[in-house]
Amino acid sequence: MTRSVDAGRVPLGLDRFRGFSAFLETETRVQLHEGPSLVSAFVIQVIFLVFVALLDRSYLVYTLVGAIVFSIFTVGERVLNEAAYIRLDHKLNELYHASPLTPESYFLGMSGGVLLAYLPPVVLLLVLLQVLFPLSVTGAAMLTATCLAAWLFSSALGYSFSTLFRDMRAIWPYSSLLFNLFGVLPPVFYPLFRFPTPLQPVALALPPSAASALSLWAMGYEPLRTGAIALAAVSLTGETIAVLLFALWWARRSAREG
Amino acid sequence: MSTPALEARAVTKVYEPRRGPAVQALSGVSLEVQAGQRVSLLGRNGAGKTTFLKIASTLLRPTSGEVRIFGHDVVRRPEDVRPLIAVVPQESHPFFHLTPREQVYTYLLTRGFSRETAKARTQEALEQMGLSEVADRLSVTLSGGQRQRTMVATIIATEAPLLFLDEPTIGMDPFARRGVWESLRRLTRKGSTILLTTHYLDEAEVLSDRVYIIERGRVLAFGTAEELKRLTGGTLRVTLAGAGAPEESFRSFGPVLVEDGSVHIITEPDRVNEILAMALQKKIPATVGPVTLEEAFLRLVGRSIHDEIG
Repeated sequence: MTRSVDAGRVPLGLDRFRGFSAFLETETRVQLHEGPSLVSAFVIQVIFLVFVALLDRSYLVYTLVGAIVFSIFTVGERVLNEAAYIRLDHKLNELYHASPLTPESYFLGMSGGVLLAYLPPVVLLLVLLQVLFPLSVTGAAMLTATCLAAWLFSSALGYSFSTLFRDMRAIWPYSSLLFNLFGVLPPVFYPLFRFPTPLQPVALALPPSAASALSLWAMGYEPLRTGAIALAAVSLTGETIAVLLFALWWARRSAREG
Repeated sequence: MSTPALEARAVTKVYEPRRGPAVQALSGVSLEVQAGQRVSLLGRNGAGKTTFLKIASTLLRPTSGEVRIFGHDVVRRPEDVRPLIAVVPQESHPFFHLTPREQVYTYLLTRGFSRETAKARTQEALEQMGLSEVADRLSVTLSGGQRQRTMVATIIATEAPLLFLDEPTIGMDPFARRGVWESLRRLTRKGSTILLTTHYLDEAEVLSDRVYIIERGRVLAFGTAEELKRLTGGTLRVTLAGAGAPEESFRSFGPVLVEDGSVHIITEPDRVNEILAMALQKKIPATVGPVTLEEAFLRLVGRSIHDEIG
């Protein structure tokens, strides 16, 4: 037996996600007991909506869709903080890793639990969107699909990133920077055409702004060319799958220290 | 003979930090725990106890050597090992935003128990740990000892075949500690096996069928508490109080320790009368008591440190 020995036999099929629903329930309960965090998570979105409603209502649909996408995207920031907190402060990850719960279920259960707890305010935003700017079936389907991708991408990114730290205090500035930089600066809350033209392909390659652009395009508010649609769709799908597969592999790899 | 609950052969672990020199945490640890036993690992801080527990519980890869849990290799077959074990990690806390009831109940669900079984076992474990009154309060509002009891309740409720407890009673009051001891005894009566680390020597003494003393990553000594105590050179300790007791005069009776101005002579029962007679003659107050595991530990580890320095 040496250090190079593999982490062990990897279970196949559904067995790989053993305990997922139970850990999802655990994490949802944890999050729901933290009411003030749930409220504070939506402060930026509400402030932006108020600003836009006061300044120029013609942009309200962009800001509403952006608020929904941003809310889902920042689930990743909460997953990052939660995973690090459980590991560094509570040392509870060891309790779960030395049990039949698989590392994949631990990661996905945590991500799903955070999402479920933060979903009700997103639903309120959706209702507001539906009332003010009624969604077509295509628009609703695209918004749902892109939000799903944004959640998977950001959760996978957040979980993987969380394993790199040994101190909670070191995490806070990075997590805030990472998720606000990619969730606020590019055209998530505002239309793509207001972003500098040379940088628009970059925005379409970033998951949160790609999700916003695709949703708005499907709703008829963002006139995108075929190339731009393809770039956004391929980037969002490809990056989500790549980061998710990495996180699943890394969750198993990091469940046991070297 | 049945398969041991835990079998470790020549386990080594070298930590190689990105900066600084490598650290040899374990240097060939071999030990065996039979099913149904309660075994303690004793050692100073940094001796390697937690490292060993982490390797045995599939949380850390060894550098070399082999650990088998009920015959399953912890490195090659962790998926087979994990359903058989449960761990209270060192310095761990329950979820602050769950109640003890939710903590235990949801943990059992993650291990695959039905809701009915999980509910019943949760209730039982909380009662055993004396947590019934605070079972529905968020853990963030509990005392340190209550949180620690919640952690212990979480894993005793599993009744897993092999339980690892890394300093399980730290921060608990004497009553709570005894509650944990009784729960662990009950579990082994039901067939579980327990491997724990502790710095409470009295705990190790009353609780363990077998004790391993780990020092600098090696097994320094092992056996029952009584066997380890005999390694000190006797089973009784005669203490001659106050300064002025001439320690040299008593060396022929066994090992002599001088501590806080008193002379302690470790000896056998048949020599005690001679010592007391001498003490009486010299008008030195004397008391007789059994050698404790703590004395054995201090003497064995102290001797090892002395040899190392020497």
